[in-house]
Amino acid sequence: MISLHPTQQQLHDFVEGNSAPAMALVISAHVDMCTQCQMQVAAMQEQASELAFKGEDDSPDFSSMLAGITQLPAAERIISEPVKAEIELDGRSFSLPRPLRRYVSKTGNWSHLLGKLWQAPVDLGPIGKANFIYMEKGGKVPEHTHRGNELTLVVDGEFSDGIANYDSGDFITMDGSNKHTPYSEADEGCLVFTIVDQPLHFTSGVARLLNPFSHLFFK
Amino acid sequence: MLVGIPLETKQNQAIKPKDCAEEMSSYLALVAEARCKISFAKVFGFFAPRLRSYALKQIGNEALAMELVQDTMSNVWQKAHLFNAEKGSPSTWIFTIARNIRFDMLRKQQNRKEDICSDDLWPVLCEQTADANEVSLDEQITLEQVGNLFDELPQKQRVVIEAIYVEGKSQQEVADELEIPLGTVKSRTRLALQRLKEMLKDHD
Repeated sequence: MISLHPTQQQLHDFVEGNSAPAMALVISAHVDMCTQCQMQVAAMQEQASELAFKGEDDSPDFSSMLAGITQLPAAERIISEPVKAEIELDGRSFSLPRPLRRYVSKTGNWSHLLGKLWQAPVDLGPIGKANFIYMEKGGKVPEHTHRGNELTLVVDGEFSDGIANYDSGDFITMDGSNKHTPYSEADEGCLVFTIVDQPLHFTSGVARLLNPFSHLFFK
Repeated sequence: MLVGIPLETKQNQAIKPKDCAEEMSSYLALVAEARCKISFAKVFGFFAPRLRSYALKQIGNEALAMELVQDTMSNVWQKAHLFNAEKGSPSTWIFTIARNIRFDMLRKQQNRKEDICSDDLWPVLCEQTADANEVSLDEQITLEQVGNLFDELPQKQRVVIEAIYVEGKSQQEVADELEIPLGTVKSRTRLALQRLKEMLKDHD
């Protein structure tokens, strides 16, 4: 059951095309999984279009543009090459929301992070540092806080973090004011997609050793 | 030939998009089925000036605004078969096409179009192409590896790193505790991190 959604303002910015790219990506992946937000987005798009096209100012002469456009051929119906819709780990495959599928080919190998934790980096270019993170049952990320913002989408499974419980499809935002210790007790473990704009900052025990290298981890 | 197709913009000004949704839907259907230029001219006459007003407000640049109108209406003409009246009104469809083009225009201006593509975010025209680019794998290390490498540090550096990163002490506290100058703590920290980084590199 999805209980965490983008805010109305975040959805509104998304519909208008004004979200930051990382935010737009995670929202679109959430919307792909969430029928409630799909309906909201459809309604917002309708409102936005009415507002955008409610009137016109004095316009230039469009006739040459019209003539030019109608000289163009109809678009060929492109049958798009199938994009891999799943990501695999240890013989298991996880179906991904559509907006993330493009990044399967940009995802590096899984590496064992700590104990029951796996990570595969996703190359998003300058948008942000993204990873798929898989927590096996009992897997735990050391307590950390965030120097920047962290956006997380639960792709498959459930996890908790000492603040709340999260289920597939949940949209989670974290910033420097949140300190948490994500772990999964679900039999099937939990796969999340996460984007951070700054490295994590580990706050307890031996995991602090990781701080000078946290840019190598949760990129 | 387009001679004689009127651009009925003046009479259109007061009409709201939803008031003519059905009419516009039927024109789009005729464009899709019969490449009907007269029907397209009706759609164009209604939406092109409105698109320009929207684009000017969003972008604030006349040339780019006209480019947005041009690209959006070209898509409407060329891909009218992708419009589905059951999914929404022509106005919403055209708005979403324009929104996507504007998003990509902004990314392109920042030379960052490749990172993310509007078709992925909002599958309005649903013509994605697979991107099979190979990417270099990022450096990967594990906590165990860091631990092992850590043990290889010279004793003096290890003590400093442990105090700062595991016990969470400040460099000044470490200096006081070990009764060494702050500058020494700083240089040991720097050397240790440098060394760990080199070891990580060699480790790959």
